[in-house]
Amino acid sequence: MPTYLARRIGQSLLTVFLTLTTVFLLVRLAPGDPASAYAAPSATSADLARIREQFGLDEPLFVQYGYFVRDLFTGDLGTSYSFHSPALDVVLDRMPYTITLAVSAIAVTTLVAVPLGVWMARRADTRRELGANVLTIAGQSMPDFWTGVMLLTVFAVLVPVLPASGFTSWSGLVLPTVTVAVLQLALISRLVRREMSTALASSYVTVARSRGVSESALTWRYALANSSVPLVTALGTRFAALLNGVVVVEVVFGWPGVGSLVVRALETRDYPLIQATVLVTATLAILVQLLVDLAYPLLDPRVRLGKAA
Amino acid sequence: MSTAVGTRRPSAVTARDLARATATRQRRGARFKLWAGAVCTALVVLPVALAGLLPLPGANAQDLSRRRLPPLSEGHLFGTDQLGRDLLSRILHGGQVSLTVGVLAVLVSGLIGIAAGSAAGFFGGWVDALVSRFLEAQLALPLLMMLLLVVALFGPSVTVITCVIAVAQWPEVARLTRSLVLVEREKPYVAAARVLGLRSWSVLVRHVIPNVVRPASLVVLLLLAQAVLLESALSFLGAGPQRPFATWGRIISDGQDYITTSWWLVTLPGLVIVVLVVGVNLLGDGLRDRTRTGSRARLRKGA
Repeated sequence: MPTYLARRIGQSLLTVFLTLTTVFLLVRLAPGDPASAYAAPSATSADLARIREQFGLDEPLFVQYGYFVRDLFTGDLGTSYSFHSPALDVVLDRMPYTITLAVSAIAVTTLVAVPLGVWMARRADTRRELGANVLTIAGQSMPDFWTGVMLLTVFAVLVPVLPASGFTSWSGLVLPTVTVAVLQLALISRLVRREMSTALASSYVTVARSRGVSESALTWRYALANSSVPLVTALGTRFAALLNGVVVVEVVFGWPGVGSLVVRALETRDYPLIQATVLVTATLAILVQLLVDLAYPLLDPRVRLGKAA
Repeated sequence: MSTAVGTRRPSAVTARDLARATATRQRRGARFKLWAGAVCTALVVLPVALAGLLPLPGANAQDLSRRRLPPLSEGHLFGTDQLGRDLLSRILHGGQVSLTVGVLAVLVSGLIGIAAGSAAGFFGGWVDALVSRFLEAQLALPLLMMLLLVVALFGPSVTVITCVIAVAQWPEVARLTRSLVLVEREKPYVAAARVLGLRSWSVLVRHVIPNVVRPASLVVLLLLAQAVLLESALSFLGAGPQRPFATWGRIISDGQDYITTSWWLVTLPGLVIVVLVVGVNLLGDGLRDRTRTGSRARLRKGA
């Protein structure tokens, strides 16, 4: 187990490093000049050259990369061009908002989708189940930016009961959470329904039932526990994806998270800021994946970590 | 079935019981989904495909004297936008681009995902390490941000956006396939196949993959819907294909500024996306249900 953990962490560090290298190269290959985004519109080409020199962008690419790697090990990700403060701090300031939104969206999804999926498995193939199924599909079929704009129009403009944008109070969390959760509901509830139908039809459930185990214990303690590996995989993957910034939803609701930060950093070609965002979100997402993989043997004793066939 | 047979072997099972049996209900549910899905999909796909033949004003023809007309006004079924362009025509022409991107992206990502995921789960070792690194790196990347970057780098052409969406989508299939195969490979039939002398490659292709394709294909089918949504999100953020026509996301983002006065500019294109994506999802779901009941019936017949 410790060997497995050490290897996984080592691999994860390598992944983060390679990811950062890819981004480092991509942003510099992409057209667009940070200097012209940074400078005043009236700047001369001499001004632009001076700004490039100040940012170290006049150096050859591999020299820039060398500095980047050296600074990375000292925890210095450079100064954001547009915020004039350490890029890592800018990202870390925004991170709590994204984490809040991701956690609340996943919590709402789990609380609604798991009971719904269980109910659908128990009422399998009835008209009501079909109706619920079609409803979740409709929820998943709405583009998130459209749902967001529609919810905003209804609940913030026509009937102003909730704040339109930003994070001024906890009620500002409601609309973004709903927008994100509606998208996830169908995936999770259908997964639960499929796994539960298989589990409820298996022979161990029949045996347990014949020995007088109550229906609710059968459902929740036996069948759901045996459906948990795919469920946790799916929830973990979705959560990791949300941590990377719910870019569109954040833009629509003016949510001060990393998603809207990323869009701005890309527009201004703020290289240090882009790199810092990738470092932070990639590390968090990989951490979530690692936790999910570590949970497998707890959920299903047949799975042994680190023992390949 | 003659009545003579019926009287010789009387049965307590009535026609009503048969109609209420699980198999019948499943078939009915699958048929409903297939029909509803086909109708919704056709409702969007047919007009989009025939957009060139329908008597519509040009998608980019402006008429500034007829700006922001509400739906159902004369000559403009869906109304007009802020530049007096016919909204229906814009939606249909933009849809051609959106649909092409979606279909191509799914074909590519589904194939890569199932192949890579099952190989990783089954063979383990360095194959798994390699695929898992790719998966991890990709899930770790801020997806939309990478897409925006790549589009900025290579330009918002249809090919680039198709590839970008395909590359964005394969991890979902691969990861699910891998986790399914991980559980599947511990099952006794795999050991039995090995004992019978099958090489691991044949065990994977002939026994394990057929057992995981059904749950994995649930995701593959959802991907087409997701691809359409992803493309519209890219367009919404201004990184969608611009030529020859603005796609759905772009139309919605253009109309966003007029949401309080001209509701149709955002609502109608959005509804078109919803109807199409619901249709595709239902269709995929219905097909899956039908193959499920179908394979079970075949199994019983074979036994």
